Amino acid sequence: MEEKQLIEKAQSGDKQALAELVKKYEQTIYNFAFKICRDKNYAEHIMQETFYSMVKSLHQFDHNSKLSTWLYRIVANHCLMMARKAKSRSFVSFDDDENLFEEKYAADWSSIPYRDTENEELKKILDSAIQNLSPDYRMVFLLRDVEGLSTEETAQVTELSIPAVKSRLHRARAFLRKEINEAFSR
Amino acid sequence: MKKEKITCKEVMKHVCESLGEQLNDEKCLEIRSHLESCPHCTEYFKSVEITIECYRKYNVEVPQEAHGRLMKMLGLEE
Repeated sequence: MEEKQLIEKAQSGDKQALAELVKKYEQTIYNFAFKICRDKNYAEHIMQETFYSMVKSLHQFDHNSKLSTWLYRIVANHCLMMARKAKSRSFVSFDDDENLFEEKYAADWSSIPYRDTENEELKKILDSAIQNLSPDYRMVFLLRDVEGLSTEETAQVTELSIPAVKSRLHRARAFLRKEINEAFSR
Repeated sequence: MKKEKITCKEVMKHVCESLGEQLNDEKCLEIRSHLESCPHCTEYFKSVEITIECYRKYNVEVPQEAHGRLMKMLGLEE
């Protein structure tokens, strides 16, 4: 069945269609929530909140955007709400862009095991680097670069202007790259 | 007036700003030409791509129990 039909059935109260939609997107939503908060318990909580919101407001979905974009907006809001509640750490500030491009270290990038998806050392470095970025920057980087949304879709989900998306994206990319470079130079 | 040559730092910034965008303006063409002749900037470009790839490949699966709890919470158990 096509997604549009599935949504229409779910909107008219068909539980089986609703369950199909939840199953179709739960992996994406859980994975995305984990990538923002880097914690499996928080990710599960955010996934539950997201689908609860989806079920409650699916009747308002008007097919003007993709369902996935609509869900990304819901999950993004829940992630930001949770981050605000847990506000217990400080994040890197980007007052001076120039620092992002200073090269004090030189890692051998060919030795970084980026194809090894189970490498625990690399995972720790990636977790630690991204947690220094504020959730607003994380969000833009993950939506645009990791989830593969377009710049326009990222702007739609985050309710930012396109120049603001681009500015956050370039800083996030440069910062994460710098953190990995430093970690592998030690 | 003689046009100033593009610097590596400008190229690095541009790489971070424009990766994934299909841009063909004069500045982009200049950047591409610089990348072809500067090993340092080429390396930087690759390292930004690897950074993105690392985060793309780092995924987690929904645990079966979490799936069960979700469906139960929504009243959608099989």
